Amino acid sequence: MWLAHGVGGRQDLPIPFGLALAGALVALVVSFVALGALWREPRLGADTSPPRPLPEPVQRVVTARAWSWLWRLVGLVVAAYLGLALAGPDTVDNPTAGVLYVLFWVGLLPLSLLFGPVWRALNPLRTLHLLACLALRRDPTRGLRDLPSGLGYWPAAAGLFAFVWLELVAPHRVSLPVIGGWLAGYAVATLAGAVVYGSRWFDRGDAFEVYSDVVGRLAPLARQPDGTLVRRHPLDGIAGLRPAPGLVAFVVVLLGSTMYDSVSNAPFWVRVLQSGAVPAPLVGTVGLALVIGLVLAAYLVATALAARPAGRSGREFAGELAHSVVPIAVGYLVAHYFTLFVLEGQRTLALLSDPLGTGADWLGTGSWQVRALGTSPAGTAMLQVTVIVIGHVFGTVLAHDRALRLLDRRSAVVGQLPLLVLMVLYTTVGLLLLFAA
Amino acid sequence: MMPSHPRRHRSRYRAAALLALLLIGPTACGDGEPAVTGTVESVTVSITGGTVSPAPGRIEVSRGQTVRITTTSDVADMVHVHGYDKSVTLQAGVAGTVEFVADRDGLYEVETHGQDLQLFQLVVR
Repeated sequence: MWLAHGVGGRQDLPIPFGLALAGALVALVVSFVALGALWREPRLGADTSPPRPLPEPVQRVVTARAWSWLWRLVGLVVAAYLGLALAGPDTVDNPTAGVLYVLFWVGLLPLSLLFGPVWRALNPLRTLHLLACLALRRDPTRGLRDLPSGLGYWPAAAGLFAFVWLELVAPHRVSLPVIGGWLAGYAVATLAGAVVYGSRWFDRGDAFEVYSDVVGRLAPLARQPDGTLVRRHPLDGIAGLRPAPGLVAFVVVLLGSTMYDSVSNAPFWVRVLQSGAVPAPLVGTVGLALVIGLVLAAYLVATALAARPAGRSGREFAGELAHSVVPIAVGYLVAHYFTLFVLEGQRTLALLSDPLGTGADWLGTGSWQVRALGTSPAGTAMLQVTVIVIGHVFGTVLAHDRALRLLDRRSAVVGQLPLLVLMVLYTTVGLLLLFAA
Repeated sequence: MMPSHPRRHRSRYRAAALLALLLIGPTACGDGEPAVTGTVESVTVSITGGTVSPAPGRIEVSRGQTVRITTTSDVADMVHVHGYDKSVTLQAGVAGTVEFVADRDGLYEVETHGQDLQLFQLVVR
């Protein structure tokens, strides 16, 4: 409850809410029918289309050692600058909260959607670990122990929950001691993981690297295992996200927390939180866990029903179809944070020019006025509906394609029905939360 | 291998449609001139024992209206209007007022920073 998230609202939709909802549901049903009739064999995945490498000069730049070090340095400098702001005065003009919640967390989404797993290249903690290993002449990939394979994405899912709890529930979450304390705890936990398990810990254990990687699979650019930069279809990329322990938890926390953010913005929930009968952080924690739990329950029921006619296990299907939740979550994240990013992003860039509150203007952005930049309520509302629908249609395509790999065509189409119901449910709830809350 | 890639065409259309929407959508209804000027919307809020009265809800104003928010709190605090970035420091038991022209559309939260309470959400249309 610290920033105005949505500039759009139900009253700002240029068409009646019922019509927008009906349109969204028609899009889902039509794509379901079309997929069943026309999409008869699996088409997605890295194995179905040859990679298209970028031109040779580009390859030479992006595979150079200096290229990696450039981005590591950028990550370190930006982190150090944020550290400076943490030392500034704890007022509403301190940029720290805006940097963490808007520029970093929300900004990571468009960067990853365009360029892939960018946080892997920038992560200052990964760089610190690498530098320490270089100084000690140790192999950074080797830790004290091997990373247990059963761990999977569970640490990242837990880290993501810890972050969304900070962002949406924690008391005084825009104050410097709270943000600084959380970041310190996160840094210690992540570096400790890297010391024990080596740099592979960042791949699976660091919530932000996993987030950037999972979302970045929708990017039109990707690295081959040999480092070659190739163009690819976003759906091929995300279809390469294979089941692993904790993956379902990770994507469900991502989707559920964004939905809770919509709930927490509704006046009725503000009144519940501030009623005083029960401490607000407790109510908020229960609410966040409850929304995530409902999203998870709906997902598990739908995937179990999809698996049943073919006599397959629901657990297997839940893991196999987890990648189809990613574009849905991305749709919500864009719908939810678009105006926040544009408006608060500008404000944060202005505040960043004076991190210590001394009246300085180091970046020359201090005098920026926040401009609408196309965030009119009606335009925003249309964008929100559109990205949510596109996310769900992508999700339907991904789920259908994966089902064709796992089952014969008839079972795949029949198995899609519960998933269609799930998509309809997610769409309806998502649009209601955004426009009727 | 696969004969053709109908999906690639479809998704290209989709991408084009999205791009068109991104470009056209926002300009279709840009920020116009203030719709209403001269009228004042007064909002009075009091905070006692961590409870906001009246209970938090949404208050709608027309673009161009002046909004005057008067807050009294039983402990020292600071009222902040997000988006407009207006704030006033409150001393315990002394009413504080923040006044501004609501010249931008949107939904803005008005809250206190000390007790972390939302007072209401301001809807400017």
